[in-house]
Amino acid sequence: MVQFKHAASAYKSLNGLICVYKPPCVPVKQVQHIIKTNLCRDLNALPVRPREQRIEIEGATNEPMIVKLVPNYADDPLVCGPRYIHEDIRCSWATHLGLFSSGVLLLGINEGTRLTYKINMGRPTRAFKVHGQLGKATDTYFWNGKTVERSTYHHITREKIDSVVAHIQASHQKTMFEMSGLHMESQTTYELAAQGLIRPASSKLPVIYGIKCVDFKPPNFTLEIQSVNEYEKYLWTLVHDIGVQLRSTAHCIGVNCIRQGKFDLELALLRKHWQLEYIADNMNQCSQLLEENEHLLQPESAVLTA
Amino acid sequence: MMALKSAYLCFGNKQVFKIICSQYAKYSNVSALSVKQTFSENVLETTSEDLSHITPYFSNTFNLAAYVNNSETLKKLVDINVDLSKIEKKPHIVNKILKLDFEKHMKEHIIFLNDYVGLDEVGNFLTKNPLILCEPVQDLQVRVNYLESKGFQNDQIKRIITRNPFWLMFNTVRIDRRFGYFQKSLQLTGNEVRHLTTKQPKLITYNLHHVKCNMFVLKEEMGFEDKEMKDLTLNKPKLLMINQRHLLERFNYIHNIMQISHKTILKYPEVLFCRNFKIKQRHQFLLKLGRAQYDPKKENFISIKSLVLDTDAEFCNNIAKCSVSDFNLFLKTL
Repeated sequence: MVQFKHAASAYKSLNGLICVYKPPCVPVKQVQHIIKTNLCRDLNALPVRPREQRIEIEGATNEPMIVKLVPNYADDPLVCGPRYIHEDIRCSWATHLGLFSSGVLLLGINEGTRLTYKINMGRPTRAFKVHGQLGKATDTYFWNGKTVERSTYHHITREKIDSVVAHIQASHQKTMFEMSGLHMESQTTYELAAQGLIRPASSKLPVIYGIKCVDFKPPNFTLEIQSVNEYEKYLWTLVHDIGVQLRSTAHCIGVNCIRQGKFDLELALLRKHWQLEYIADNMNQCSQLLEENEHLLQPESAVLTA
Repeated sequence: MMALKSAYLCFGNKQVFKIICSQYAKYSNVSALSVKQTFSENVLETTSEDLSHITPYFSNTFNLAAYVNNSETLKKLVDINVDLSKIEKKPHIVNKILKLDFEKHMKEHIIFLNDYVGLDEVGNFLTKNPLILCEPVQDLQVRVNYLESKGFQNDQIKRIITRNPFWLMFNTVRIDRRFGYFQKSLQLTGNEVRHLTTKQPKLITYNLHHVKCNMFVLKEEMGFEDKEMKDLTLNKPKLLMINQRHLLERFNYIHNIMQISHKTILKYPEVLFCRNFKIKQRHQFLLKLGRAQYDPKKENFISIKSLVLDTDAEFCNNIAKCSVSDFNLFLKTL
């Protein structure tokens, strides 16, 4: 744990990437706001810069005047406000997480905002645990929506769900190559695939690299999905589609991001740990991770153009 | 002659507010006009006169920090720990405060407040309610006398004024009406009103619409009886002041999902102040461990109070009987 003696040194060291755990039903904007508020609070609690001195020249102008050094009231925290305020701390997220999703969220602080941009452009794969429930379909595809359909799910077995999921993965891999515009059995396609993951060129194109069912206790099931460019609603629709393909209905009851690139849940800071010391500690771990894995910022991969 | 100088205060929201600073009488002996007349003949010639009273105008500013070094009044306010940076967020108050002089207008108030609030707290008090400096001291004395006439002890009055800086802004008629309202709507006796007032002085001067809404939530939506509501309010007066949506959300979770009866909630009303996510995650963790048993008549009873008050480490050691890291791991699956 890092111990800071002065606010100034602490503030200077706050440049980099942190990895936090976003709770569900808390928007990313609010996470940013809480982190900024907490950092300001902790920085202001540390010993801050003392009040500046001010030179005053006093006395009548036709006599020798007195030069005095007096404390500058305008620099008092009671007058000009606390030393560190929200505007002093920049904070940006790498990839957005929807309101109802929870999990790993990368935030850049001060100079780290550039890193988040680079990481986002590198399009690291994210792994999700998506929890679904069979037997009910809703209009939003999520548990909070209106029920539009109910159905039985006793005929669904683990094997059936596995085959549907495998089919989805295969079709996604196929479209990936198809959209690259190359013949599936050519040498060029092989070379493209050998370069690494085929990543979509635009940030609007969701691609799933892997999907599998990790838990099945009817009516609940859990999918583990590795993907790029996905968004909350896309994952919900995926669950809905699986329900339809299983000759039943399903809706999503939770989305949990368990990994982004090399940043996993173990690294993520819980809400109760969003404090200066923990954040500084986390920042060091993240920068170490980035140093060890340079490809996170500049991935070598083929680019899929749609 | 007194020259009123005007300055503009600009704030973050780019609104411009006019501030008239008249307390700079020291620097205002010479008006702009007279300065011009004196120097109109030979400006460049050296003079043996004392010119120290001629100072530049106070220009437009974004905050009070620009004026504080030149104003004895503001300096003295800072010395008694008044947070000017908080006051200046409300420009209409700044307008009024800047017109006051420490010796003439503020000293009496501060001496008066000193008797009730204490010197350490005066700064905090004035930060929260600077407009008290604009009220006549006689009025404040009348309001204190009113409290005495209603049978409040001296230390009770001190507590009321310290805990609710806005109390003295309300005239006796209004306060009396509010006492009457609380006495009638909660069916309190005189002693109970005094107890309630001393326990949470802010409640009496709180937004009555909000209080009414919360009473409705407690009575109609949550289903507490009149007698129970009275006990609740006397025990935790803050219940009538918190956000009603949050209140209902918490009650809904505790009563309908965790199946805690009204009786238990009456016993530990603290649970209604705990943020919902905290109680939710602990309940879910206990459910996962199979220890969520809140009935005192059965074994492995877990008090609802311990869900709220303890820190995570204490909760894990004493209640959940596991390590904190397990709990943290669980939190990362929510």
